[in-house]
Amino acid sequence: MDRRRFLKVTAITGTSAALASCGHPENQIIRFVPEEELTPGIAVWKPSVCPLCSAGCGVIARVMDGDAEVFRNGQPGVTRMGLARKLEGDPAHAVSQGRLCARGQAALQVTYHPDRITTPLRRTGERGNGAFQEVSWDEALGELVSRIDELVGKGQASAIAFLGRPRRGQRQALVGEFLRALGAPAPVSFALFDDGVARHANELSFGRYQLPTLDLARTRYLINFGADFLGTWNSPVAQGVAYGRMRQGQPGVRAKFVQVEPRVSQTGASADEWVVVRPGTEGVVALGLAHVIMREGLRPATAAGRAGTLVDGWAGGLPQFTPQEVERRAGVTAERLERLAKEFVTYGPSLAVIGGAALAHANGVVQALAVNALNALVGSVDAPGGISFMPTEAPPARPARSLRDLVSASPQLLLVDEANPVFATPSAARVGEALRNIPFIASFGSFIDDTSVLADLILPDHSFLESWTESSPESGAMEAVSMTAPPAMRPLYATRAMPDVLLEVSRRLSRPLDPPLPWQTFEEVLQAPPAAAPAAPARAASASPVTWADAQFDGDAATYPFHLLPYASQALHDGSLAHLPWLQELPDPMTTAMWCSWVEINAHTARQLGIALGDMVEVSSAHGSVRAPAVISPGIGPEAVAMPVGQGHETFTRYASGRGANPIRVLAPVEEPATGTLAWSATRVRLARVGGPDGSLVLFAGATRERPDHHGRG
Amino acid sequence: MAHRWGMVVDLDRCTGCEACVTACHAENNIPTVGAAEAARGRAMHWIRVERYWEGEFPEARLTFRPVLCQQCDNAPCEAVCPTYASHQTDEGLNAQVYNRCIGTRYCANACMYNVRFFNFFHPQWEKPLQLQLNPDVSLREAGVMEKCTFCVQRIKAAKSEARAEERELVDGALQPACAQACPAGALVFGDLNDPESRVARLSESPRGSKLLEEYGAEPKITYLQRQGWHEPDAQ
Amino acid sequence: MNRTRNNPLADDLVRPLFHTSVWFYGAVLVLATVVLAGAAAWGYQLWYGIGVAGINWPVFWGFYLTNFVFWIGISHAGTLISAILRLVNARWRRPVTRCAEVITVFALMIGAMFPIIHLGRPWLAFWLAPYPSAREIWPNFRSPLVWDFFAINTYLTGSLMFLLLPMIPDFALVRDRSTGWRRRIYGALALGWQGTTKQWHRLESGMQIMAIAIIPVAVSVHTIVSFDFSMATVPMWHSTIFGPYFVAGAIFSGIAALIVAMAALRKLLHLEAYLHPVHFENLGKLLLLMSLLWAYFVFAERLTVWYGNEHSEMAVFWATQRGEYAPLYWAMVVCNFVIPFPILALRQLRTIAGTVVASFAVLIGMWLERFLIIVPSLAHKPLPYTWGDYAPQPVEIIIMVATFAAMILLYMLFSKFVPIISIWEMKVGNQPHPPVVTEAEDELAGLWRARP
Repeated sequence: MDRRRFLKVTAITGTSAALASCGHPENQIIRFVPEEELTPGIAVWKPSVCPLCSAGCGVIARVMDGDAEVFRNGQPGVTRMGLARKLEGDPAHAVSQGRLCARGQAALQVTYHPDRITTPLRRTGERGNGAFQEVSWDEALGELVSRIDELVGKGQASAIAFLGRPRRGQRQALVGEFLRALGAPAPVSFALFDDGVARHANELSFGRYQLPTLDLARTRYLINFGADFLGTWNSPVAQGVAYGRMRQGQPGVRAKFVQVEPRVSQTGASADEWVVVRPGTEGVVALGLAHVIMREGLRPATAAGRAGTLVDGWAGGLPQFTPQEVERRAGVTAERLERLAKEFVTYGPSLAVIGGAALAHANGVVQALAVNALNALVGSVDAPGGISFMPTEAPPARPARSLRDLVSASPQLLLVDEANPVFATPSAARVGEALRNIPFIASFGSFIDDTSVLADLILPDHSFLESWTESSPESGAMEAVSMTAPPAMRPLYATRAMPDVLLEVSRRLSRPLDPPLPWQTFEEVLQAPPAAAPAAPARAASASPVTWADAQFDGDAATYPFHLLPYASQALHDGSLAHLPWLQELPDPMTTAMWCSWVEINAHTARQLGIALGDMVEVSSAHGSVRAPAVISPGIGPEAVAMPVGQGHETFTRYASGRGANPIRVLAPVEEPATGTLAWSATRVRLARVGGPDGSLVLFAGATRERPDHHGRG
Repeated sequence: MAHRWGMVVDLDRCTGCEACVTACHAENNIPTVGAAEAARGRAMHWIRVERYWEGEFPEARLTFRPVLCQQCDNAPCEAVCPTYASHQTDEGLNAQVYNRCIGTRYCANACMYNVRFFNFFHPQWEKPLQLQLNPDVSLREAGVMEKCTFCVQRIKAAKSEARAEERELVDGALQPACAQACPAGALVFGDLNDPESRVARLSESPRGSKLLEEYGAEPKITYLQRQGWHEPDAQ
Repeated sequence: MNRTRNNPLADDLVRPLFHTSVWFYGAVLVLATVVLAGAAAWGYQLWYGIGVAGINWPVFWGFYLTNFVFWIGISHAGTLISAILRLVNARWRRPVTRCAEVITVFALMIGAMFPIIHLGRPWLAFWLAPYPSAREIWPNFRSPLVWDFFAINTYLTGSLMFLLLPMIPDFALVRDRSTGWRRRIYGALALGWQGTTKQWHRLESGMQIMAIAIIPVAVSVHTIVSFDFSMATVPMWHSTIFGPYFVAGAIFSGIAALIVAMAALRKLLHLEAYLHPVHFENLGKLLLLMSLLWAYFVFAERLTVWYGNEHSEMAVFWATQRGEYAPLYWAMVVCNFVIPFPILALRQLRTIAGTVVASFAVLIGMWLERFLIIVPSLAHKPLPYTWGDYAPQPVEIIIMVATFAAMILLYMLFSKFVPIISIWEMKVGNQPHPPVVTEAEDELAGLWRARP
């Protein structure tokens, strides 16, 4: 068959197929005129920013043409358009450096998710039962505007609240401008793993309310206190790149990496030495190391500068943190501590890092201060191989209000932008109940999750690939990084960018904003951004020394013998990614589990309680209980059990709803007092076997040992 | 000289983050099978990060090892395939011709690395997840074996681009999706026949060994073993 | 031996062809239903994909291949045993050969179906055949599966000829006794047999040639089936012992199947006059020998693996010896040795009932052996990360049961259309001087001769 004949045949069959579909209205697909010029089969790379965590990795999207079912002017149909097919790290971006983590790779599925909200929705049934009906944008915006008008008219603009995820950049600035002009209180950011404690301590020690950039590539001795810097903490891609260099970047030079934590994390797995500590005593070890260094005269106490003076007893050489005392309190032997201290000073550049579970205690700030002082003592602040703070035009702002403030103010109208506090707060904090009592909730999220299911109105945002995106990370590179990128593809559905919606609302209000917002679109905002709010002055250098306080745990040790250690799931992070099938089916690096929750239990403990791999166990705190299958692990101590965060959504698309268990729900609502963040490592639990395997534990791997015949299976 | 594609996996760099796994899924249109099928052992991961525990608490230690098709020179999968669906290309890739595969699954049994995956059912992409598919990679139907291709579509594209621009391929510019994603740079891909390539030089490392070398399959992937820390000479 | 005269013998043996009881129809109905259920199960699998079976990563072969090897093993009952007995001219073989040869043909047909059933895309199975195609792609002759394809086809063709050749005089006999459509059909099948000396001569030399030719084919078939496994470097597959081990195992299960089939025929077709306790006793002795040989092979295989102490092999070894597959493993040892050995070794127990009990045990044991060769090894390949397990699914079990039903059904129908005992050979055996077979029975044959 020659080409001409082929074309003829396909033309005829195509026509007849089109004719055949006439007369059946359901077969009549409207084909829109293509909106862009694309060469079939030729890929175009377009920049964007990964939105899934706060690292702000620059990405490039591979855009190729294809047929997509879309909404145009409220009309469903098919069009030929540029579609993002793959995400890669942007080689020109100083944070991602051409690399991308597993979660960033899966960000593509946010746009093409089958359960993405395609049009505005209005709640029809009982609040929370998930019944919504489609409404037009005009109607939806009209309703939101009338609600705001009503409150403003009654002089209750202060009862309008905004709850979003922690973001930086113009989007967040615009939200702030909008609320300020409206007379509403400042927006509230909420995320389970928000690192407020670390930033707060860094501000105290170094005058920077910011997460540090780790110069791992030049570090020669790294002590890490529980920070999952290779997995989920801070800027994992940048840290991964630097870690590779730390290991094999220079021939013949290989740094030592010591991990101090009660349970081996994915990051800890790569360490040369694992130091088991009792939960909440990481700072004791750090101060013990400082004690030895000062006692031996390896560094003078004054070398730590302000970071040192913030720690009570520093100038006197921390006499209460002798190795013997550290051994008693943290469970690290005195000899080991002495050795680590000497190695740490001798084989520099040295670096100490703290993060994650170590700071999720009521004493989180003093734990962080201890490590900051240790870094300062060995001269690894703003030094090669140490920590530094990225110079940035808009450093992260200390949040003006917390979720607790928002809830206790009983707002009348709540705008939710992707935050999911109903999932990510303890049941005992009763956030869900508080939200249910808010008369009107509007959500901008693209998915119906545990929180947005409570909304009265859903105004779906574009996906990040369909939006203007910006990256202004606080860490991950030595130099300032800032970028904005236009949409990588046209929107698929009748969605609107949240900033544009806010601007539209501001124009429709019956009483115009004063002063009016000077922009028509978010694009204009990016071109002429609002003046940056003046950075809060650094805390006075004369901050008084902080006295060490032991971590406090909820639940008495006799009834609740185990520490519950929740941790960020490698795939699902804080649970906000549980809707992405690629990540659900990604085997957990430690357990190889997919599509499920589990409880990690020490082998000896499991034997004592008669628990075997896959058995259903119940983890109970004083505030509730969850059930999940057991995984027996040699990487956790007998006094603790660990559970990944991420599953256990009641409502979050077909892939995550009703799957697994959420350990956050059973936590005690203990907060770190200075920052108000949840102390998610401070709960004690008891453990009971409640049944045999229920089949929910899905493991990719068979055996856990390379030579299982020496150890037995499991 | 013909290319001979190979890889070096530096276990000292690998952090077990599994960026490679998702990158591979995205690049190669690998189906997600769902919880029920995954529980029955049907999850498909052309590249996986094997982890093994050593020792007991508190001396337990964990090692990660990315395992993908080793692209053996002397591949056991190829000999046993009755229809030549599994065969060696001129550039040393163990290719799988999906259209030629009748689904005996013998190749998967013969492969001691277990890096071949079978389509037990027709793969499904719930609408509109099919829009994520890479148009350069064919989809596989039920009853067909599939496996790592070293992203042969990227190799082909890079070669035709180089030919159009009348130049040689640049070492490092062409990478499979896993190597491109890997933050720590644990995966290094390149031409083993180019003595100057990074992969060829790293393959000669004294840390290098082949996985299950004793089976004599002559894999083209070299693993650089993880190192321990030794106290440097006093400074 | 029962010295009946010609006519009653032919009457007895032809009777089932002309008289059919209600029970027969009932049994056919039941069996056909089961077979149809199997066909439906296969249809279901074709429609939804092979994923409805229990196979998975890494246990890519399961019940289907177990049944394949099992049925190919059963097929060794017939032709091989019959050929050996013919060659050594064991006189007691005469009533046994045909029912043995039929087992071969049917078991092979059933066994050969399994590799097709287990394919991911069975509609493309014809790609195994070396037919000329425009793309000039031939099957890969390095693949043991292609060897299988040829070996099984050769054996099936050979066995069919070996079965059909000596049926010609009996077809002629039935033709001569029947009328109407039966006469026409059997006349066609008899290929113009007139019983001339020349025809007898040709038949005998044809039989002689086939008997000699079929033995290496039979040995090669099961050796090649064993090569499917031993050519792959899977722990405990890659073994030099597999060729003879599989052949011995095949003959072992084949004899057991033959004993069961003979006992059933004897009972149901009232052939007590032709199938004597002595036949069962002789086959029982053969079974005893094979049981010992089997035990020897297993011992040799296990001991070498244990001493080799290669860790991936030891994983399979321990999984079967004392791990999750140990119950099946020890059940196999009991079925293949502990039960049959005393029954067959003690003359008092080597009765018809005794040999049937032993044979049933051996059939179960040999099925387990095939399963234990395939599944534990695939579940424990060298990288422990990839270890897995296997649980059969309903579709696999239904298809397996259906093939057993199919075997019985085919056997029943065969015995309805063809005299299940070779009438002319019985006649030859009953004459002091066989008309054609003139040579004296040799020494070896004497060993097998029944005691008076």
